[in-house]
Amino acid sequence: MSALYNFFRSIRLAVVLILIIAVLSILSTLIPQGKDAAFYFHTYGAFWAQVTLSLRFNDFFRSLLFLLPVGLFFINLSVCTVDRLVNRERRKARRRHGPDLIHIGLLLLIIGAMFSVFGRREGMVYMGEGDEIRLPGEYTVRLLDYEYEEYENGRPKDWISTVKVSREGEVLVPSFPIEVNKPLKIGGISVYQTSFAREDRAILRDAEGTSSPISRGEGFEWEGAVVIFQGLEGSIAVFEKWENHSRTETYRVGIGERIGEYTVEELGSREVTGLKAVKDPGFIPVVIALIVFAAGLTLTLLQKRKDKDI
Amino acid sequence: MIATIGFGLLILAAGIQVAYLFRRERRIDAFSHYIHLSAAALLFAVTIDRSIRIRFVAVTNTFESLVFFAAVIALLLFIYRLRAKDKTIPFITFGATIVALALLAVASSPIAPKDIVPPIPALQSYWLVLHVSLSFIGESFFVIACICSIYYLASKDEERKKNLDRLTYTTIAIGYPIFTVGALIFGAVWAQNAWGSYWSWDPKETWALITWLVFTAYLHTRFVKRLRGKVSAVLSIIGFAFTMFTFFGVNYLLAGLHSYA
Repeated sequence: MSALYNFFRSIRLAVVLILIIAVLSILSTLIPQGKDAAFYFHTYGAFWAQVTLSLRFNDFFRSLLFLLPVGLFFINLSVCTVDRLVNRERRKARRRHGPDLIHIGLLLLIIGAMFSVFGRREGMVYMGEGDEIRLPGEYTVRLLDYEYEEYENGRPKDWISTVKVSREGEVLVPSFPIEVNKPLKIGGISVYQTSFAREDRAILRDAEGTSSPISRGEGFEWEGAVVIFQGLEGSIAVFEKWENHSRTETYRVGIGERIGEYTVEELGSREVTGLKAVKDPGFIPVVIALIVFAAGLTLTLLQKRKDKDI
Repeated sequence: MIATIGFGLLILAAGIQVAYLFRRERRIDAFSHYIHLSAAALLFAVTIDRSIRIRFVAVTNTFESLVFFAAVIALLLFIYRLRAKDKTIPFITFGATIVALALLAVASSPIAPKDIVPPIPALQSYWLVLHVSLSFIGESFFVIACICSIYYLASKDEERKKNLDRLTYTTIAIGYPIFTVGALIFGAVWAQNAWGSYWSWDPKETWALITWLVFTAYLHTRFVKRLRGKVSAVLSIIGFAFTMFTFFGVNYLLAGLHSYA
């Protein structure tokens, strides 16, 4: 037991682990991450692709190859932190709490990051003016207005999506401008301005005379198959029929013509804003960790200055 | 134009330092640190001038970052020369001046466009300003540490080695917390605010972390007798090389989120 304790107490082990994590991380930046298997076979040949995939080097930061040394480092750092605190008490040595805070901050950071790795959820949505989305917790977000501003030379200056937030009929935020770097925060969820697009739309009328809009990428069922709206070619709408994961037919339809049980009533396109909703249970722990960490760094620096080391 | 004069002054300072290194006479290099101070002032003036024109702190593209970086190095050299009585200082200031000149040479090259343009939406954040400026201030200390370490490895005189080792350690001890707060902490806060994710393992983030790990390892080698000295010096040099790779190499060799910086 004490041999194990001494092993994990060692600063030399810390240096070795830090350098191992560094070297593996370097390798990970040389191999593109998160591509599909075919990419690695094509780029590196069969043997190296097998090596990459079996070690999960293509998803390095979630692989055992990375998490194992990080786990050992976590134990190493925990033991060192406790050891420093206990020994100092015993020896009544000078109070040097800067490095302790740095180490505690780092341990908290690793814990917080694990919450993010396993608990973080995000969703991306494109909305036009008047559209509504539902967020977890019964929040309804409605896009009131979307603006794009540019500088005189045509470079983007700002994207602003103004939204209204309500919950069960009660308006919580009457109007909030979401901008890049200014997310909306509501009930533990943050909504970010991420992109914008032009979206093709068709308005279809069914047999009963009810009209409903369909956006590019959306579809409906027809005779056991799925028909998906693929966008506009000039003033013609393109639909594709898919059966068993393969495309069986392409239709080109104008206004007034029929597709499935619908009649195309209107075709056009509209500006949509790309919003990303994120819920990250690790964020608050990470912020606390970073504050402890930064406080430790500052304290260390101040204590060192006193030493006249510098 | 102002930047060019700053560049010229640094060349002048480097020239004087070379002359001094060949003939160790005090009168040859009695004032080159004031040239550094003037160069720093001019380079900071470039940053201020551009900031007024774009109505934002001018650290939002490669050219502006490099000018700011070189300005901080020049200012640090002035302060170090003023404070330290050490005999190793002339060589170190010369080495660091060359680094500052190299950075400005890159700034003046076509890979760093000089157009005065206001920042795109993602860059309009004061977290970004803190992130970039503190990163470079921290890295300026690493420049000095790297030169000290090279001198350490080349030097045979035990007394001089001891001084150089101490100087390397003290510069890293100041640079490391500034770099950590700037590059990693404020970088993470900005990323969270701009993209909704405080860490994405994009190559530049990963390389900043690798650089931080190397300097972290450096600081801990100080506690292990067998690693102290040579290994420490090598790590300090690798650490600086990695800061440069994080800044330049990643942009041109590896693609990612930081493609605009």
